[in-house]
Amino acid sequence: MIFSRKRHWFILILSASLILNGCGYKDIDKRFFVLAIGIDPAKHSTKRYLVSLKMAITRASREKPTDTIIVSAEADSMGEAVRTIKTKVERELDFSHAKVIILVDKVAKSGGNSGIIYWFTRRRDIQEVAWVAIGKPSAVRILHIMPKSERLPTNSLLLALGEDGSETPYIIPVYLFELKKRLIERGLDPLLPIIEVEGKNLFQINSAGVGNKSKIKLILSQEETKMVNYMLNMESKSAQWVERGKVKYIIDTQKVKTDYKIITPKGKKPYILMKVSLKGRLEETSRRITNGELSKYEETAEKQLSNEMKAVLIKLQKANLDPLGFGLRYRARHLNKDDWEKWKKIYPTLDFKVKAKVQISDTGLIE
Amino acid sequence: MPTMKVESIKKNILNKIGQPSSDLVAREVHTKEKYMEILYINTISDESIIHDKLLTPFFEIEDQQDFLTFLQSHPKILPFKDEQKAIEDLLKGVVIIFYQNFIFTFDSKANLAKVTSGTVVETTVQGPQSGFTESLHTNVGLVRERYPVPELTIESLSIGSISKTDVMLLYDSRFADPDTVKKMIDFLKTVHIQMFQSGEQLLDSITKHNRSFFPTMLVTERPDRSAVNLSTGKLIILVNGSPFAVIAPSVMKDFMSSMEDIYQTYWVGRFLQLLRFVGFNISVVLPGMYVALTAYNPEVFRVQLALSIAGSRTAVPYPAFVEVLLMLFMMELLTEASIRLPKAIGPTATTVGGLILGQAATEAGLVSNIMVIIVSFVAITNFVVPINTFSFTIRVLKYLIWALGTIFGLVGVVLGFLMINAYMVKLDSFGVPYLTLLQSKPKN
Amino acid sequence: MNRYFLYLVLINMFINAIIFVPSILIKYSFDGAVASVLLSIPYGVLMTFLYSKAITKYPEKGLPEILANTTKWMKILHIWFIQLAFFTAGLITLLGFLDIISRFVNPEEPRLILLVMYLAAIFLVIGMPTQRVMYFAEIVLFFSIPFLGFIIFKAFSSKDLSWDSIWEVTTHVFDWPSLKAFAASSYVFSGYINLIIFNRVIKGKLKIWNYVFVFIVGILNLFTTFLIPIGYHGADGAKEYLFPWISTADSLRLVYSPVERVIFLFIMLYMGVTLISVSVHWHVALELVKSTFNEKAKEKKKWLVLMAIAICSAIMVQQINTLQLNQLTEYWMILRLAVEPIYVLSFYFWAGRKIS
Repeated sequence: MIFSRKRHWFILILSASLILNGCGYKDIDKRFFVLAIGIDPAKHSTKRYLVSLKMAITRASREKPTDTIIVSAEADSMGEAVRTIKTKVERELDFSHAKVIILVDKVAKSGGNSGIIYWFTRRRDIQEVAWVAIGKPSAVRILHIMPKSERLPTNSLLLALGEDGSETPYIIPVYLFELKKRLIERGLDPLLPIIEVEGKNLFQINSAGVGNKSKIKLILSQEETKMVNYMLNMESKSAQWVERGKVKYIIDTQKVKTDYKIITPKGKKPYILMKVSLKGRLEETSRRITNGELSKYEETAEKQLSNEMKAVLIKLQKANLDPLGFGLRYRARHLNKDDWEKWKKIYPTLDFKVKAKVQISDTGLIE
Repeated sequence: MPTMKVESIKKNILNKIGQPSSDLVAREVHTKEKYMEILYINTISDESIIHDKLLTPFFEIEDQQDFLTFLQSHPKILPFKDEQKAIEDLLKGVVIIFYQNFIFTFDSKANLAKVTSGTVVETTVQGPQSGFTESLHTNVGLVRERYPVPELTIESLSIGSISKTDVMLLYDSRFADPDTVKKMIDFLKTVHIQMFQSGEQLLDSITKHNRSFFPTMLVTERPDRSAVNLSTGKLIILVNGSPFAVIAPSVMKDFMSSMEDIYQTYWVGRFLQLLRFVGFNISVVLPGMYVALTAYNPEVFRVQLALSIAGSRTAVPYPAFVEVLLMLFMMELLTEASIRLPKAIGPTATTVGGLILGQAATEAGLVSNIMVIIVSFVAITNFVVPINTFSFTIRVLKYLIWALGTIFGLVGVVLGFLMINAYMVKLDSFGVPYLTLLQSKPKN
Repeated sequence: MNRYFLYLVLINMFINAIIFVPSILIKYSFDGAVASVLLSIPYGVLMTFLYSKAITKYPEKGLPEILANTTKWMKILHIWFIQLAFFTAGLITLLGFLDIISRFVNPEEPRLILLVMYLAAIFLVIGMPTQRVMYFAEIVLFFSIPFLGFIIFKAFSSKDLSWDSIWEVTTHVFDWPSLKAFAASSYVFSGYINLIIFNRVIKGKLKIWNYVFVFIVGILNLFTTFLIPIGYHGADGAKEYLFPWISTADSLRLVYSPVERVIFLFIMLYMGVTLISVSVHWHVALELVKSTFNEKAKEKKKWLVLMAIAICSAIMVQQINTLQLNQLTEYWMILRLAVEPIYVLSFYFWAGRKIS
């Protein structure tokens, strides 16, 4: 119809929109893509934050196609900072590719930073699948890291945090939407990976911070991070150190699975039964171990694994933090309206029982 | 005088062939002493053979009995077996002779392969390679040869107020929808063209009725395609002096199919068809998509891709939509030029244009690298479509999507694409919905 | 199974899976939404069954053809009232989706321009004969369903989906159902009502499998609509989102695809689904209006109606913001809930009496 009899309609529409046009069209080369956002506490003024944006500069040259520029501004809020930074650059800021958000631990530890997180989720152009992490010693330092291996700015961070790059149990990547969920969900507390500067131009991610609804309260060590990772069922490829008397050996894990139940027997102390199963093969030992002896070593590994795990659980419980979502599980299994209030009373008194099952299939290619 | 039996056989044969076929010749030949009737189809029989081998002896041999002996002893003349065989033979170019109480068949097949030329436009790797010729007579013969059924109906018309061009309408009366045939005849009668030279003109005049973007009749140079289409109930229009046949009703599926699909194995054929549909969509959408994505929604790309596009565009001094238009325009000129150029120079022009110009334009910073890739991609996908008239349509359509993409962004591209789809849904070709995806099967 | 009938149902389910229904349901997730959803499934299937049974007694006839022999004033009243309902249904969908586009895809383009683009496409579709509208719907669904299915599969299988949050919401099953949530969740099943015109393309009776399909897909759809956003954004957190499903789509990441962010793929697919959804509603409205005109003036008056539609939507798009639209939709859904069973039941008994 529009093409045939009523062609003038089509022309009318086109001309009308041409007159109204001019909004929204912005060429890709007129934009600065913000790739990472860093938030530090302000140093030189009374403002609260120092916001730094890492932006990609694109060039036509083939040898060095992209470079980066880091622009910072001090402000009391994100919105203010971004407006200030806009006055410092010549192109339009485009946040649609901001894939990494780095908070420094001081900011994360000082309460009330959730307002900033809300700024990110409220804006339509920031991806929900951006990664959030804590930077040490400062967010700007992390932004300045440019490992030699990366061709595109921040690509190494993206690969480390994403599933497509390195696979290690020491990184617990957290998406922005996930953090926001953890900030508000009753019974599930925030958890953030910590990126540290290592040497001159490298970073290291091997710990995690756990917080309550307003600030980070506990920093987990490397091994504790791994335990949390096991319990979140996130990454199976890892290595487990075990010590049996004088013998030290490492299990290269192929599959780690955990499952837990909250058991509230009547009249008795409620407890959490955590079941872990770990499958793997020996990778390195300090003494020769034959395939026949493996069951002994499995036992030791089981004991050690359950002790380590229990220690982490108790540590979290002492701090009254719940990044694993026990509270949410409790709420999900109870029909009462006041289940959350009940849980708040139960959690500090809870016992943990860890049942570990380790299977070592063989000792690798050589016995 | 022929007996009743012979008379009834003659009637039966005429009845079977009985469609109004303008190339069926039934002739009575008299001399003082003798009387003979011959029946043949002039498009597939060689009339000079008939003249030399049959008519000349007929007039030279005076005696009735002598001529009968001549017929009986001639190596190419065989006695009549039964009606069915006679009809089959007739459709293959054999003359049926009724003489006295005898019926003979005389093999006078014309060697059409001698006069045909190879295909030029719709080339295939496998399968028949011959195309139509410029003679209407031969062309009908070519179709007859491939489609020897008595139900093939041939109607003769003339179009053109000055040129009075002979036009033949062919269809299989078993399969063709009578309404469609009527519509087509009415349409042909109402066409007002002074000089009618080629079937493609019909395309134009039917478009003026509908203002349609898409061709609703298929122009082909392949007799095998015509024959296959006849068996699916389509109508074929042959025009004197043109080596192209027009097939109607034709829907999208027909434009997207190459004769090769039949000559390939099943999965290969399916794959090729899928390839063409994908190519069609890419060709229409890609330029507009590029503008919409780079200028409105670069967040759709992966960050790595976004950065490399941005990088390649940094040196380009004008907005993306101008860049696309410029390159598309250049590509159209190249395509046009290489069609017009003599065959010997054609490839040179393409090389100069495609390689050197593209390279130089990028180096000079007039267009981005990625743009060159996109435009060549569009050009290549465009020519994946086997029927030319249809790929010309795509050439135009992509500008529509480009415009919508420039003004409305991603919404414009998606809705523009859907509007083209809706338009095709709305369209029909002589009563057949344009987007009928299933190959129409012979109706019983 | 009759695929045209299923398309009508599916289109309505798809479109309501993203625009208003999830936000309404999630708003009441601790106040009776679960019970409402559970109740709406038998209710929806029953309504579908009654109405389609009644109208398929007139094979290949739309309401105007069925009513052709009744008195004129009743016909006009009947048809004018229903057509208004269909028009507003389409309008609400269109406005809701324009809002999504202008937020997530073209934030700087005025919504009026987007509306112009949409109206051009819609007018092209609704002017076609009913059979062709159905063809078009089939083509769009053919393109969209595989991808939408893939996205939903991705959403289900991702480890970011927190089943505990989902279970937490379902533990509120014994809360007294809420009216608004019931209105919203039963609206998901309302696709059948388009049979009012689209019965023209339905040949023969509908077999029982059609209703089984509606039942199963309805459960799946409501589950996806309501609980997937909760799984991604938390039982407490999902309420904070204005468009829970769009934000959920943004929370998915296709690691290996050239388009990494699912949200754009999702919205692009929904552009088509919205187009057919609005077109189906407005095609019904237009056909009903057209049936009240006399033969001569039909073409001219059709253009008047289209003009009226265009002006009306332009005014609405300028005047109404998201929050007002959400409010309006809630009331509209309640009104629909009140009117729909009356209409369906009366038609069912009227048709039953007529035939016997």
